[in-house]
Amino acid sequence: MGLRKLWLVIERDLRMFIRYKFMLIMRGIWFVSQVALFGLVVNRMVQTAVAEVGINYFQYYVAGVTIITLYSTSMFIGYDIFEEAEHGVFEYLLTLPVSRRELVLGRSIGGGLRSFIYVGPLLIVVLLILGVSNPLYLIIALASLFLFAFGVSGMSITIAVAMKSGDKYDILIGVLDALIVRLSTTMYPTIYMQRAMPAYATVAGFNPLTYAADLFRWGTGVEGALQFNPLLGVLGLFTFFFAFTFVGVVFYERRLEGGGWQ
Amino acid sequence: MKAILHVIEYDFRNFFRYRWFVVGLIAMNLADLFISAIVFTQMTSIVNYFRFFAPGLAVVGLFASAFMIGREINMEVRREIHHYLLSLPMTRTELAVGRVLAGGLRGMLYMTPLLITNFLVLRFPTLPQLLLILLTLLLLAIGISGVSISIAVSTTSFEKFVTARGVVYYMLFFCSSVFYPLSVIQILAAQGLSPLVTFAQVNPLTNGSDLIRSFLLDPSEYVFSPLMILNVAVFSIIFAFLATFAYAKVLLRH
Repeated sequence: MGLRKLWLVIERDLRMFIRYKFMLIMRGIWFVSQVALFGLVVNRMVQTAVAEVGINYFQYYVAGVTIITLYSTSMFIGYDIFEEAEHGVFEYLLTLPVSRRELVLGRSIGGGLRSFIYVGPLLIVVLLILGVSNPLYLIIALASLFLFAFGVSGMSITIAVAMKSGDKYDILIGVLDALIVRLSTTMYPTIYMQRAMPAYATVAGFNPLTYAADLFRWGTGVEGALQFNPLLGVLGLFTFFFAFTFVGVVFYERRLEGGGWQ
Repeated sequence: MKAILHVIEYDFRNFFRYRWFVVGLIAMNLADLFISAIVFTQMTSIVNYFRFFAPGLAVVGLFASAFMIGREINMEVRREIHHYLLSLPMTRTELAVGRVLAGGLRGMLYMTPLLITNFLVLRFPTLPQLLLILLTLLLLAIGISGVSISIAVSTTSFEKFVTARGVVYYMLFFCSSVFYPLSVIQILAAQGLSPLVTFAQVNPLTNGSDLIRSFLLDPSEYVFSPLMILNVAVFSIIFAFLATFAYAKVLLRH
């Protein structure tokens, strides 16, 4: 596998991302309004109850919104694939002197990398708000977020090629987004999910967003203790990354040719 | 009137073409109610959040579906489908009025299962209360459809439309009592954010959701005021006229 060719695929996806300037501005506005309006007001509403379990909800929420932003920007790559299929760019890509595997792996890495670059400035602001208690923990957490971003991109690509239909993809991603975000600890601690409906907490325990959000909070020192061993969280995200990047690559290779895009 | 009805029928047929998209939207809304709202109920003692949020959810659904008309009109203008629409035997005003009304009515149709969910989980209103709720929500839906069309014809690309929609969405929703009680927002006034509090008080989404709450929740906590309907009506009239005018103008320009 040629690293140079892989890099060319990654570079192309990074360049394409800049074209979404309005979409990126909108995500930025979403992030700011989530933190400065929704976060502050909801914090007022829940702070007494949440303080009882030793959590500063505003900090908790800011960390969660960062992970939601990373997740949603990593999912963008699937929309790129549909636009390419619609405009016939897909066939052009297949004619390039790049192997199928390089193409797919490059896209997955490019999708994750560009979302990380986008979230980078937001991450700096968030770190200024949250502070850093242990730099080593933060480095481990950020490395885990890399795995998470690549895994989400791989998942987006896998779903896109499995569906081969822009409409179906849009709907499935909408429903998945509704469930994966809400059934995670991005917005609320596990203890409240447990109290509300134990099944929600059980599902959240297998959700990569839960691992990413809780590891990020652990890395910045938002929570005194994790609900799980950090190594288990890193392992969970690695498994997610591995499944959707490498297994997804094999699946993508098989579905790549033969048309059938709607 | 017949021409307007034809336009409404055209838009309803388009709406049903996206039925899976609508199913997806409903799934998202229900996830908000039956997952997020239930969990938040455990986190706050200020309100029973599940009961508080249910009426807000009907307004969220109404907004999302009434706004869809703008997405379609933006696409039609970009792909120049409006040339075909202009060739139809009807005036531009009839076409524009039909589109604004269709957007609102589609919002009402989509919102109905969410409103029924409200009745089931909260309580059933009396007939006059039901009629007032439907009237207010219809006005709100027409106003939202008007905002959506005004944005759709003022933006030249889909990306710009989506961005503008996002800004309007966040401003209207986060500065309203859809997600949290007005009393909690009012605390912001002490932090020098009184313009946001004023905006939240006059926001039609606040008035729409609080009107439903006044009939379906404890009336001593959420007091009905005729000003709520007036507020939504003013919003609706302004944006329905603005959208009709802007749409007719854009059809001429292209």
